[in-house]
Amino acid sequence: MERARIARQPAHLLLASEFGSATLHEKGSGEYDPSFVITKLGAKVNRVVAAGLLERLELRETANGSTLYQGQLRDPTGLHYFSVGDYNSEIMRELSHQWVERLEDGEPLLVMMTAKTRWYQTDEGAVYTSLRPEEACVVSREVYANWLLDACQSTMERMNNFTTSLEVEPTMDAFARVGLPTDLLVARNHYGEVDLEPFKLNLMQALDIAEGRLEAATTPPPMMSLPTGDEGDATSSESGGALGELLLQAIAHLDQGEGVDFDTILKNAVARGHVREAAESVLDELLESGQLDEPRFGWFRVASGE
Amino acid sequence: MAEGKYADYVEAILKECPDADAGEVSEAFAKYEEEFYIPPQDAMRSVLRRFKSGVSPGPSTTERSPRQTKKVASLSELVGSDKDVEIEVAVITHNIRDQTIRGEEKKVAFGMLEDNPWEENGQRIRWDYKDWGPHANLTAGSIIRIEGASVNEYNGKMSLNINQSTRIVVLKEGVATLPPSNDPLDIADVPSDGYICVVGRVLAARPDQIHRKDGSGSIDVVRGRIADDTGTIGFLSWEPFDHEVGTLLKIDGAQVRSFRNTPELNFGRTTRIEVYHDANFANLEALSERSNATIASLTDGARDVDAVVQITDLTKRTFERDGEEKFLWSGQVGDPTGRCRVSIWDALPFDEKKLPITVKVTGARVRAWQGIPDITIDNAEQLEVLDAPPWDESLDLANHSVSVSLPDVAAGPSRVGIETTGMVVSVREDSGFIMRCTECRRVLRDGACFDHGVNEGNEDVRLRLVVDEAGATTAVLVNKEASLASLSLTYDEMKSKVEELGDIGFVQLVREHVLGRSVNVRGRSIVDEQGAMILAEAMQISERDAQMRASEMRTQWGWS
Repeated sequence: MERARIARQPAHLLLASEFGSATLHEKGSGEYDPSFVITKLGAKVNRVVAAGLLERLELRETANGSTLYQGQLRDPTGLHYFSVGDYNSEIMRELSHQWVERLEDGEPLLVMMTAKTRWYQTDEGAVYTSLRPEEACVVSREVYANWLLDACQSTMERMNNFTTSLEVEPTMDAFARVGLPTDLLVARNHYGEVDLEPFKLNLMQALDIAEGRLEAATTPPPMMSLPTGDEGDATSSESGGALGELLLQAIAHLDQGEGVDFDTILKNAVARGHVREAAESVLDELLESGQLDEPRFGWFRVASGE
Repeated sequence: MAEGKYADYVEAILKECPDADAGEVSEAFAKYEEEFYIPPQDAMRSVLRRFKSGVSPGPSTTERSPRQTKKVASLSELVGSDKDVEIEVAVITHNIRDQTIRGEEKKVAFGMLEDNPWEENGQRIRWDYKDWGPHANLTAGSIIRIEGASVNEYNGKMSLNINQSTRIVVLKEGVATLPPSNDPLDIADVPSDGYICVVGRVLAARPDQIHRKDGSGSIDVVRGRIADDTGTIGFLSWEPFDHEVGTLLKIDGAQVRSFRNTPELNFGRTTRIEVYHDANFANLEALSERSNATIASLTDGARDVDAVVQITDLTKRTFERDGEEKFLWSGQVGDPTGRCRVSIWDALPFDEKKLPITVKVTGARVRAWQGIPDITIDNAEQLEVLDAPPWDESLDLANHSVSVSLPDVAAGPSRVGIETTGMVVSVREDSGFIMRCTECRRVLRDGACFDHGVNEGNEDVRLRLVVDEAGATTAVLVNKEASLASLSLTYDEMKSKVEELGDIGFVQLVREHVLGRSVNVRGRSIVDEQGAMILAEAMQISERDAQMRASEMRTQWGWS
């Protein structure tokens, strides 16, 4: 235990849209150096406090026989994807187990979690962020609303910094002089132009919810059942809508001209927390409805004739 | 191909071992790199050893192959192993000191130089140098060409060694106004090291002596303190310093060194001190008045500290040293910015039964124990009893706590009597019932104390939390009373909860109570290299009305 203790990384409050849209990653060269995700608004985060409605949580057997819970947490701005595996504490796995059952009973759960951020890139270059919860609990509506406001406040601070930074010469020195975080400069160099309007809309929605103007925060999640193979199931087509959109987006994004191969598409869907089989059947649907083309076997691309 | 890749290294080896075969040397480098992942610059020594051993050892191998002079324009082109370097530089500082080398007293010069001396606004790099000559024509402010210096790399810091055989060619004579006069800094902005310029008024100055550690005598120095509107700083002059208290001085080229956490100015041979005239500069009275330190501003290692504090509690401790009975008064002091400890090594100039007593402390030292400052007073004359505190007399300093933002707690010194607010981001699994060593109160691990071995222990309750705010993080240890109060449980209720839920189940219960919530904690902070920790004697979970807050934010952001 000779190595110097590494200081604990502070937790940041992030809404799902900001975290989900982040693609920049930073990691030091040392074995124990923490890794960070840098968001469009310049938050450099190794750890977050996230909260929201537990929309989905499923137990999955992985290839090597270990167990993995994959879930989604919905806040007013979007979804956080998270996973709880054998590397998590016993209590975290036990909680996941309980929550799977409670979700199946249709109970809406508002969950607060402290989580490590994770960033990964598929072989094809698509970048995803997800969370690995360290501690979590079910919270009351009031606690959730206050968290939401705290998160709005820190998002607003970052947005203000961002706006200020547009007037500042993009150098480390200039940023430091006016007291702007240098991580913001790193973010701006990576993301280029960022439209703040969606973030602003997100905050407005969040305020609405915190004020109790919308019931969205506690509406139970749409029931998601595993497709059993029967087609035309109402719920599966509903989830297929979101999944289908994701697939279309992913294919458009990954297509280098020859289309995208079957495996890559499914891998991306699974990475986003979807069930492989569901993705397969949605892929079929998209093909049948003419939204996708299959120029050669196993390769897909977005239909051009729309 | 490999030949080309290692050409420079092979050449270097061949210089030392002219009989070696270039191909074999190159192969050796390739082997190190490919088989052992050792890059050629790191393999140099090993390869050299291998090919040298082939040469019959003997004194005749000192044949001096003509060295290749490395001519560079910028210091950035140099690497740690460069031996025969030629470069043109400006000499920024030049100091001479005596150094004993192999029993011989020798003068050695050292200082800082800067490359790229000719370009008007070019990028310049500064390095330290050491002149073993020392060369008489090397003076501060001149621009010179150095021929035959070597590079020294120590702990990643590069410097230039100017050897006795190095040639110094003066290209431009030093001008008296160099080193380029720095703009005076505010004392509050003095960095923790470097050469700087300040304008300040002398608050105190007294002769002192520094004893050499090896017992070879002592050096006469002057210690003191100067001040400007923004603050005060101690100084140490290695040269005669006869400016009286109250004199306004411009001091250029002072070196800042930090003792513990306190920066101090060092005046040496190259420091230029001149009397400065500025009718608008604050006068001595005003500065002395303002130079009173507050407890929040005390740093470990500070000297000549003046402060007005209230002593709230004192106990006399006696001990024996060298067979002689000695005593010491130690206790607590406070001011409106916080609380800390005090040690008085003399008879009290007041009746300790009349506490609290407000005193003006003069010329005290500050040490810190567990990060908590301790104002150390060696002599009763340093204490002047005041009739009343200069602040609101009704302030109960013994229980007063100062509100400090969490980032300030994490970045600041350790303090007593603070309160701060942040979000609970972690409830550690060792929260709940713990056993403490009956001897030292340390938490037992597996029924044993680190120092006192197996121990039945005393039961205690605590919560171990992590509280974050605005990118800063602190560990928070909540004591028994505050833990129970914040959970609205009695000791017995908690006991049965733990029995019902188990240790971890209880921790989860605590999480459901506090995780992600804003809390206000009160107590003392310990800040060290492991981070910040708050020992909390009270914790309040903030009850906030979300609807109200949302409406407030809407108004604040102009979205209503």
